[in-house]
Amino acid sequence: MADVKIVKKKRSQWMEVWRRLKQNKAAMIGLFIIGVLVFTAIFADFIAPEGYDDQDLYRRFIPPGSKHILGTDHLGRDILSRIIYGSRISLQVGFIAVGIAAVIGGTLGAVAGYYGKRLDNMIMRLMDILLAIPSILLAISIVAALGANLVNVMIAVGIASIPSYARIVRASVLTIKDQEFIEAARAIGADDFRIIIKHIIPNAMAPIIVQATLGVASAILSAAGLSFIGLGIQPPNPEWGAMLSAGRYYIRDHWHIATFPGLAIMITIFGLNLFGDGLRDALDPRLKN
Amino acid sequence: MLKKKSFIILTSFLMIFTLMVTGCGGESQDAATESQPLIVAQRSDAVVLDPHANNDQASSRVMRQIYSNLINQNESMELEPGLAESWEAIDELTFEFNLRQGVKFHNGEELTANDVAFTLNRALGSSHVSHIVGAINPDGIVVVDPYTIRIATHEPFAPLLAHLAHTATGILNEKAVTEAGEDYSQSPVGTGPYKLSNWLVGETVELVIFEDYYDEANKAKIEKVVFKAIAEDGNRAIELETGGIDIAYDIIGTDVDRVANHSDLAMVRDMNLSTTYVGFNAEKEPFNDVRVRQAINYAVDMDLIVDVVYLGTGEPSRGPLGGNVWASNQNLKPYGYDVEKAKELMKEAGLENGFKTKIWTNQNQQRIDIAEILQNQLKDINIEAEVSIMDWGAYLDATAAGEHDMFILGWVTVTGDPDYGLYPLFHSKTHGDGGNRTFYTNERVNELLDLARVNVDPAIREAAYIEVQEIVRDEAPWIFTWTGEELTGIRDNVKGFKNHPAGHHKLWSVYFE
Repeated sequence: MADVKIVKKKRSQWMEVWRRLKQNKAAMIGLFIIGVLVFTAIFADFIAPEGYDDQDLYRRFIPPGSKHILGTDHLGRDILSRIIYGSRISLQVGFIAVGIAAVIGGTLGAVAGYYGKRLDNMIMRLMDILLAIPSILLAISIVAALGANLVNVMIAVGIASIPSYARIVRASVLTIKDQEFIEAARAIGADDFRIIIKHIIPNAMAPIIVQATLGVASAILSAAGLSFIGLGIQPPNPEWGAMLSAGRYYIRDHWHIATFPGLAIMITIFGLNLFGDGLRDALDPRLKN
Repeated sequence: MLKKKSFIILTSFLMIFTLMVTGCGGESQDAATESQPLIVAQRSDAVVLDPHANNDQASSRVMRQIYSNLINQNESMELEPGLAESWEAIDELTFEFNLRQGVKFHNGEELTANDVAFTLNRALGSSHVSHIVGAINPDGIVVVDPYTIRIATHEPFAPLLAHLAHTATGILNEKAVTEAGEDYSQSPVGTGPYKLSNWLVGETVELVIFEDYYDEANKAKIEKVVFKAIAEDGNRAIELETGGIDIAYDIIGTDVDRVANHSDLAMVRDMNLSTTYVGFNAEKEPFNDVRVRQAINYAVDMDLIVDVVYLGTGEPSRGPLGGNVWASNQNLKPYGYDVEKAKELMKEAGLENGFKTKIWTNQNQQRIDIAEILQNQLKDINIEAEVSIMDWGAYLDATAAGEHDMFILGWVTVTGDPDYGLYPLFHSKTHGDGGNRTFYTNERVNELLDLARVNVDPAIREAAYIEVQEIVRDEAPWIFTWTGEELTGIRDNVKGFKNHPAGHHKLWSVYFE
């Protein structure tokens, strides 16, 4: 009986969030951008006019026009196609890196917040150490140590953002764990694991979601930055940051090579940030009427 | 309350006063230097100013102005007297050098043969420059009198004189080195036309004229030279255009025409001694089969690649040595772009279905571009190559250890002698870290390289080197790629600048108009 009630209550809570989110135009624009991005990433093979590595050294530096909408790059590859395929890499890195960070950081934060005392101290001081190192620097050292490729970039960017999730989750857990329903759960004999998974985590979800949405944006940006300095995805994979880096040599003669990958990064980050901000507003109980 | 107010007023006054004082300081400093400094930009700052502590181009370019050598090598790579007025071969191992008299170091000491002996012994103890001085026998460095020194090698070593003109063998002052100890690199003392005045590590090196320079006729013409590090290639050209710098080294292909066509600027272009190559690990399957290496040579359109990547700068390599290295063989038959022939060879090697391999390179956009195009063109003969960009240190370590398949690297034949450009790269004694990263072995090549190293007869040496280059062409441990060019951008009012093929251009002949 109690379970049924919770489910019902939950649904209505999320419906309420959605209703508020819909009223936020900026958030809807963000959601639209993300939707388009996910769509292009999934159907890249059908949308892209050419393969991402179709070189033709005799048609280099073609400016944007009817044949190549965004022009061709210094190796005669269609830039639009590369940007489309590049969305796959960016989204992959964004979501998986955030996934790694949220799962590990969330678990650590929950454990620290729930058990408190020495364990809390140990975990959080460890997080402080990680926080003391600028996250991009940490990511650079991890990639430099592990070697540059897609998987390692995800791991590096993920590890670098663990502390922020640990902190957020710990803070939520601290406020939740003393509430009556937790006490009630404990009173009927629920073990720690069940309490954390079933009762605490679902109630601490809102800030994690907001952080994750914004985190995807910064993860994409970090990955692009790593690729820009040559520590990211290996060529000829069309990573936006790497495209930008390769195009910067030609920027004074052929502006389009560096400009469009840059725009792609900018619009993506913009969309994710708009949506993340909207989501935070929608989830913030203080805004409830 | 009143106290508080007056405190605020007092602090504001103090701040304004400080601003004024510091502002004035800046102005008066500018006024103190009468002549305009020459500002030279290069990709990175000097790493050391101690010739035995590292051997990199950025440092060499600065040290060229600070130190002098026994022998100089001019822009045509001809040997000229430097600190040594004359020299003669005493026997096949030993040279005797007569030093100039009255040469002053920056600290006022006079140059003697003891300084030369000290310098060479110190160089012999350094791992960074051992490949330059390694042939010298420490017991053969004999001071005959204060102005005469004998230098002997373990074995006859034909290119010794060229090695003594290398920036790594610039002559140091024994007293200055001993006094400075660990900090010598921060307070270098040479006999060159400029001395160090201020070094902001990572940013600028400031040099001022050395009034007692030994070569009166060639004294520096500009009071102060500032080397500035500008890492981003495009920014060096922009700085030059906006007048922030007077000379920009290493202008990149995309900027060459812009600088050349600019009304206030000019390009100084000369072929240099560098070469870029694609190497195979000749000890590893399938590259241990000469047919596979040749097939890949046929399968790539190197002339087009060079044109695409280097945008008309430098030229496609015709052999392992550039055209201005002595005894370079420019008549080797290029493989040419012939995919059918490549397929035939792959079939003969039993690899018509191709194989998977890796192309390694470092973070250098041109090399990355080459790797990407190679990867694409190798698909035609069913070779599936993966490109991997590595950190410079890791890259050198891995290629020295022989973990690689294919790699892209460069070499500079600094001395202009073919021994420097062939021995380390193709002799089996130098496998790995010594320079032969293809792990190529050929008995005849070894024999010829050894012969030409110890023989002093130029005709015999030349014949040997010509043959080595033919063998290397046929056995294809490399794909010959690109011979580099010194691309220096200068402002129109800068006169007297000449490129040196080794890259460390002398600045004391430069003047403003």
